[in-house]
Amino acid sequence: MELKNYKDLNELEIDTLREIGSIGMGNAANSLSEMLGCEVRITLPEVRIMEYNHAIEWIGGPEAITAGVLVRISGDINGIMLSVQQLDFVNLIIGKIFDKKISTYEELTEIESSALIEIGNIMISTFINALSGLADINLNLTVPAFTVDMQGAIIAVPMAEYGGQSDYIMTIGGNFICEKKQVPCRLLLSPDIRSLNFLLRKLGVTNG
Amino acid sequence: MDDKLIVGIADMKMAQGAGTLVTYALGSCIGICLYDPMIKLAALIHIMLPLNMEAGRKTPLKYADTGIRETLREMEARGASRARMIAKIAGGAKMFEVSGGNMGNIGVRNAESVRMTLKREGIRLTFEDVGGTVARTVFLNAADGQGIIRSYGKPDIIF
Repeated sequence: MELKNYKDLNELEIDTLREIGSIGMGNAANSLSEMLGCEVRITLPEVRIMEYNHAIEWIGGPEAITAGVLVRISGDINGIMLSVQQLDFVNLIIGKIFDKKISTYEELTEIESSALIEIGNIMISTFINALSGLADINLNLTVPAFTVDMQGAIIAVPMAEYGGQSDYIMTIGGNFICEKKQVPCRLLLSPDIRSLNFLLRKLGVTNG
Repeated sequence: MDDKLIVGIADMKMAQGAGTLVTYALGSCIGICLYDPMIKLAALIHIMLPLNMEAGRKTPLKYADTGIRETLREMEARGASRARMIAKIAGGAKMFEVSGGNMGNIGVRNAESVRMTLKREGIRLTFEDVGGTVARTVFLNAADGQGIIRSYGKPDIIF
């Protein structure tokens, strides 16, 4: 069977991915809720399939500094999952845990960075657990890696990894609502093309 | 710095005599500055991967090998000479320390492929700032071929 690339996906397949996003993000929000001790809800998640340069504009430009937590997925699916933590999100976390607010990432202490890594890791793990349950597949995750740098270079990591296969990247994003405030949460799930096709077949939306 | 031309990912732009070329947030990607000082022709390429193995080769500028060759062809069409040309490169960082896959060394492989392609095409490489773990933004001034590297939390590098 011919492999489908991101831009060949039909409405039904995109809806299915959005559903995964919805369940995954819901689980991630629940775990965040427990960790922070406040109610966290999600807005309607969105699935976007974008050309590289569009993806960078969409996330807010290449040079803005952001924190990124990255986990590699292996097993039945190979891919990368990235939690992009912009300043509003960081302030939600460290505000709740350390009662502190920062205006630049340089103010982050080591313990606060550890908290961001842990939160990113737990959100990614719960998302991936939901995915493996839904599709009945086995997935392994690496330990999380963390960096604070220009966001263009951070989201270029999954692009470069699969750049030989596609000129597009998929992002599953949404907003968290915590205490009536909307906080953007960007989780980027980037399976390789073979895994994307396998996943859609497992979920019963692609023939073959 | 008023006339600023932005070079995206898998992209290349040229400027002659005046103006600045810029490419943002190079992680494992590499920015290749090519300059012919006599005719003041500058080109900046933003490549993402080392070697073009695509069947159709629809996006030559995504890759170090075909990106450099395609750019040389366009520069020569505008009167540039390889004997006068110099190359300066920046990028090829490793953004995340993570095990598994081939992600870890994409930056290193990009740098190797850029060096090899430049050598094969007979272009002098006079400056490189590659590797490390930080992203870089590169500016190239077409008036004099001077470049600036900007990184987060580090002083600018002028080259």
